Amino acid sequence: MNPSNPPQAAEYGGDEVSAIVLDPGYSTTRAGFAGEDAPKSLIPTYYGKYNADGQEKLVYGDNIFVSPRPGLSIHNPIGRDGIVEDWDMAEKVWEHSFVSRLTGTKAGNPFQNGLNDVDELPVEMDVESEEKPLSDSPLLMSEPGWNPARAREKTIEIAMEKWDTPAFYLARTGVLSAFASGKPSALVIDIGASNISITPVHDGMILKRGVQHSPLGGDYISSQINALLKANNPQPITITPHYLISSKSAVEAGQPPQANYKTFPPDKAPDASYRALLEERTLTEFKECVVQVWPGPTRLSAPGPTGVSNEDMARNTPGRPFEFPDGYNQVFGVERFRVVESLFDAKAAIPDPDSPFPAPTPAQTIPELVKASLAGVDVDIRPALLANVVVTGGSSLLYNFTERLNQELMQIFPGPRVRVTAAGNTYERRFGAWIGGSILASLGTFHQMWISKKEYEEHGPNIVEKRCK
Amino acid sequence: MSLASGVQIQDDCITAFQDFSRSHGKTKYIIYKIADDKKSVVVDSVGKDQDYEVFRNELADAKDSLGRPSPRYAVYDVEYEIAGEGKRSKIIFISWVPSETPTLWSMIYASTREVLKNALNVVTSIHADDKSDIEWKTVLKEASGGKA
Repeated sequence: MNPSNPPQAAEYGGDEVSAIVLDPGYSTTRAGFAGEDAPKSLIPTYYGKYNADGQEKLVYGDNIFVSPRPGLSIHNPIGRDGIVEDWDMAEKVWEHSFVSRLTGTKAGNPFQNGLNDVDELPVEMDVESEEKPLSDSPLLMSEPGWNPARAREKTIEIAMEKWDTPAFYLARTGVLSAFASGKPSALVIDIGASNISITPVHDGMILKRGVQHSPLGGDYISSQINALLKANNPQPITITPHYLISSKSAVEAGQPPQANYKTFPPDKAPDASYRALLEERTLTEFKECVVQVWPGPTRLSAPGPTGVSNEDMARNTPGRPFEFPDGYNQVFGVERFRVVESLFDAKAAIPDPDSPFPAPTPAQTIPELVKASLAGVDVDIRPALLANVVVTGGSSLLYNFTERLNQELMQIFPGPRVRVTAAGNTYERRFGAWIGGSILASLGTFHQMWISKKEYEEHGPNIVEKRCK
Repeated sequence: MSLASGVQIQDDCITAFQDFSRSHGKTKYIIYKIADDKKSVVVDSVGKDQDYEVFRNELADAKDSLGRPSPRYAVYDVEYEIAGEGKRSKIIFISWVPSETPTLWSMIYASTREVLKNALNVVTSIHADDKSDIEWKTVLKEASGGKA
């Protein structure tokens, strides 16, 4: 079956049309047809730029990983705070996410696409200007709870004017994740790549004064792993991405790597940002295979209940082996807990003066963010929020993360009942907001919620503020 | 309007609710469900049994057409006594989405809740995903504002 075929279509305005759901994140952009269980198109939000034949060229999607072109540099249209910085490029990356896998490119002008080339054109005809990519598909997009009004307006403007979508809706990721767990009120803890965020949702509305976020997400954890590798014993570890290795042979754990490296002369080498992007892939694997959250109940630095310190307890658990692309391999013991401890305890951060992330402040840690979030909402609804904590986001899949979170919350709030829910299924955890949007946009009854093209033309982009609360 | 599914509330739901609130405690509860076609909220059952546990079991045992645990909405007439002030009664709105509910139905029930609650104009509400969330003492505390 052709993977570009849309699934059974939802009814929209009498026509059988399937909506597109677009959930743009900092690290990845998720897009797919409404009604499906998972986004069919999952692409990096990063894009590449290089010069060839005197022209600037752009690369999108998984193609950015493929070849280390001379001068290829990697960029991201979204800022570290999760808000779009470069609108022109955000538009292009998002467009790539659905055009490449879902809608396909529209047929070009028949007079110019080469299929009808004749020496002479018989008659001059008015040809409709180039078709826009979403003329047939309603579009539901998601956004973080702290997305400012002008960014929301810019988003609907792109959807309506550049993509020509007939209907649009913009939903908060926090509300989508809460609803997908069946909860009308919840404290949504989203651990993403560039941000961790706390979003209180009450009766289906986000409580803006309680929304908190900080940069201690997946990329910060990567920087902590880098700091750990630099300070590693018996020798510092450098990650050499696969594209720089032509061959390698197996070595014993802890022994220097035996590999032949590829070298690029300076004028043929890709930019440093390309190497960083590929190193990140190894770091992601490291997070999945090695890193573990200390489960608590007390912090890693604390003395344990039996007089043995938690550090010593962690040291006595079996380590986990990891092999780097150059063949170097080692078993990681207590270190694998240290790289994530600062999400809960700022003092535990591994210092690294070269890191792009400044040392975290206590206010940026998850327990403090939760406190600040609850302090911003009405005291009467705090118990309901604590009883419905929803954990989502790819980086929340760190081993033992939810156990530790539960312990931390129970210690801060000993009175009310604390209950943490997290989807057991990896897909639902990574794509919780997308899945929620997919279900809503597939419902026939959802047609009343869409902002139609006509309404947009009548009221302008500000309509998004009134209709998508 | 907050994010909502657009699922409609059938007129029967409102009529049944009006009869219920005029019955002065004879009718104890109404259970609502979303129809299998996902287009509207309909009345599932109306109960007169004065024993709260009958209602609680009926809600917790709700099943979908394939026999799996299924979400519901309900309104219950909570009667209580405040020492020195006499008997009171208050209608409470309950949303029931058991934790094993598939995501599809969780999403539809969560995103339709406010519309139904507002259509019935019930202010006091609780949400439950586990049978222990709807013990009598919890419902009583919420309905009486902690006074009984």
